[in-house]
Amino acid sequence: MNFWERITGSDMTKEFKTFESRVKKLPAEYQAAWEEINVNLWAHADFTGRNLIPILDGVLGLLEESAADGQRVQEVLGDDIKGFCSALAGEEGAKSVRDKWREQLNTTIAKKLGK
Amino acid sequence: MEDLTELLKGVLEGCVLEIINRNETYGYEITRRLNALGFTDVVEGTVYTILIRLEKNKLVEVTKRPSDMGPPRKFFAINDAGREELQKFWRKWEFVSSKINELKETES
Repeated sequence: MNFWERITGSDMTKEFKTFESRVKKLPAEYQAAWEEINVNLWAHADFTGRNLIPILDGVLGLLEESAADGQRVQEVLGDDIKGFCSALAGEEGAKSVRDKWREQLNTTIAKKLGK
Repeated sequence: MEDLTELLKGVLEGCVLEIINRNETYGYEITRRLNALGFTDVVEGTVYTILIRLEKNKLVEVTKRPSDMGPPRKFFAINDAGREELQKFWRKWEFVSSKINELKETES
């Protein structure tokens, strides 16, 4: 990633374009699940959302494999997409904006207390 | 059996590692194996998150291989660190299950 990409996020736009074209090849119910996962995962995004790219790439891979196996999307993900997303974000150690604020708050307080 | 999700949470990782220990395998196969064992509620998504954790903790080796149809598949094989972890898991399991049985027997 160069400076220009970092500032404009153009590298991410590129990634999302490729994601989109991959998603279009999936069956309709898989596309719906992808939308759902996307919505839920963004709650775990850092400021730019760059931390989500590898996670989304992995999930898309899982969806592609399962679709090719001819499985129903429900069999693959179960009912708890939200839980699946937070497990994913947790495993990948994605830190959200909230985590950062929390950290900041903690260090500020520690400083004030002179520790 | 249904409704095991909560109870299974802590041990599923060990189960997946044991399955990988027998043979190099991939996510779909692991899920089917667990389903066949009677864990019918386990879905591929759950196994997927466990596999990511195993990979991140460097307990397995991952190779991508082309499949007959669709995208390449990720195959998982256990490594030395994984075998060590698996032994630890079974020791913990022995402890927990023996203690719980002990409790059950003394209660009834």
